[in-house]
Amino acid sequence: MTAVITKPATPARNHRARQVARWRRAVPGYFMLLPFVALFCGFLVWPLLNSLYFAFTDFNGVKPPGWVGGENFARLWTEDTRFRKALLNSLIYVACAVTLSTAASLALALAFRGTSWQDRIMRTIFFLPSVTSTIAVMLIWRWIFSGERFGLANTVLSWFGAEPVSWLSTPRWTIPLLVLMAVWGGCGYGMVIFVSGLNAIPEEFYEAARLDGATLWQQFRYITLPQLGPVTTYVVITGLIGAFQVFEAVYIVFRAVSSVGGVQDSALMLVPYLYDMGFTRFQLGYASAIAWTLFLIIFVISMIQLRFTRAVREL
Amino acid sequence: MTRLLRIPLYLAAITMLAPFYWMATAAFKPVPELTRNPPSFVPGDPTLDAFYEPAYDPAIRKDEIVPGLFQRWEDVPGGFLRFIGNSLLVATTVTVLSLLIAALAAYALTKMDLPGRRVIFVVVVASMMIPWQVTLVPNYLIVRNLEWLNTYQGYIVPALAKAFVVFFLVQYMRAIPDDLVHAARVDGAGEWRIWWRVVMPLMRPALAAMAIFVVLAEWNNFLWPLIIVQDDTMANVPVALSRLNASQAFNPQHMGVIMAASLLTSLPTVIFFLAFQKHFTRGIALSGIKG
Repeated sequence: MTAVITKPATPARNHRARQVARWRRAVPGYFMLLPFVALFCGFLVWPLLNSLYFAFTDFNGVKPPGWVGGENFARLWTEDTRFRKALLNSLIYVACAVTLSTAASLALALAFRGTSWQDRIMRTIFFLPSVTSTIAVMLIWRWIFSGERFGLANTVLSWFGAEPVSWLSTPRWTIPLLVLMAVWGGCGYGMVIFVSGLNAIPEEFYEAARLDGATLWQQFRYITLPQLGPVTTYVVITGLIGAFQVFEAVYIVFRAVSSVGGVQDSALMLVPYLYDMGFTRFQLGYASAIAWTLFLIIFVISMIQLRFTRAVREL
Repeated sequence: MTRLLRIPLYLAAITMLAPFYWMATAAFKPVPELTRNPPSFVPGDPTLDAFYEPAYDPAIRKDEIVPGLFQRWEDVPGGFLRFIGNSLLVATTVTVLSLLIAALAAYALTKMDLPGRRVIFVVVVASMMIPWQVTLVPNYLIVRNLEWLNTYQGYIVPALAKAFVVFFLVQYMRAIPDDLVHAARVDGAGEWRIWWRVVMPLMRPALAAMAIFVVLAEWNNFLWPLIIVQDDTMANVPVALSRLNASQAFNPQHMGVIMAASLLTSLPTVIFFLAFQKHFTRGIALSGIKG
């Protein structure tokens, strides 16, 4: 037997050939990625970089942007009292809204996690606000909290003999009302996530605990809560991110004639302020500085979330 | 414990429904009844005047006659129906196109051996942390420079690249066995064919879940249209509602019409939800648990 070797196969040559073949096979894949990547770069990455650049300029949309260095950020963080108000309002609102709606979601999930028709109807009812147009909901709230005597909120107050309140023009009611709207609108969404989290806990854990004589509270404290840890993190983090971006509630319900933020800016928050600076005053450079501040806040929150690292690890 | 929890929660359910009920009654109350004190909880004399007021004549304007919802926006052909049409057109186009684009990208990232795919995926996932409002100002300028303000392109094109959808579809696509794809390759099928014939049919539940999210988000989209729409004709329903509210905010006589419009805006999504409830909750559960 004689072996005819035409080309001596060296390892290096094999490797190169394999690399070329790999790239060739990959070509249709890059074409498949192209539409997404092009749009992603054009309407997300490029605008993001632009926005960062604008944040250091005095851009007003008409004149070419002029570089001002860190002046926007300096003004924003040290001098601007409206921004301080917006940030403070946002922080109070976010803290209250997220805590209350997470607690409400968990309670709802514990109560209505079953498959009976009553539970399903209740879940549907609590989820309805999540699928209703935000603007429509906000218009309803505006109508309910009408300052007149015939408003629903004032009518309910009158049953208890209380005087009517002009809800929307009393600054100290603003944040509580916004929190109420957030809990009403958001508890159903968290509930659905908690229900699937609860149903993923193995029933054996509870059986074992019952055999050991654990009370209901102990079962909740030492099985349910720890097992729900990752789900709770997810609900809280997405809740935080969503709450920092609130806009419609402020714009529709509280906007006063002269300002987006309602009476004495009591409802002013980060995104409404960004809108106000960018699109009613056209201080686009300054608005970009607000946008990047919002980004920084959300970035810090997101870093806490494990989703990012876990998703990357999986690939 | 759970049984004890239930009693106050049943009461809470009534409060959940109260705003919807208050909207629905207002939409069918005659104008004088809207401002009656104390208010009526059941419309005493239900009427469709808030939708169409027979006594209204655009030629003779009287303050005490409030035009119905479908008699407003005289300069917009079709009036309120036009806004519903705009919203539907944008929502369906964005949903179909963004899902196709995302599914293609997800296939390339999971089922093909692309050099650099890891980097691309990391960038896509990282971008989910960016609040989209950061791109508001630059995107407004891009759309303005393209002369897309007030156009459907202005609505649709910037909304097509959805990182979250890619992320979700990638998660789901990983569960599809690679052997299926390999077998198809051995049979000589091209990548596009495998994507469309083998993988896409298996992706149906994930695509349905994402389609629901995207349709809803687009139907309710407000801030972006608010910025790019200058002319009433191009408004979507939320922007039209907000403008209706802004023009009549301090006159309770118009609240019936505003509530009628809110009712018509909410009903389609609520019906949509009731019809596809299972997909909804599954989609949310998947995104929440897997994330």
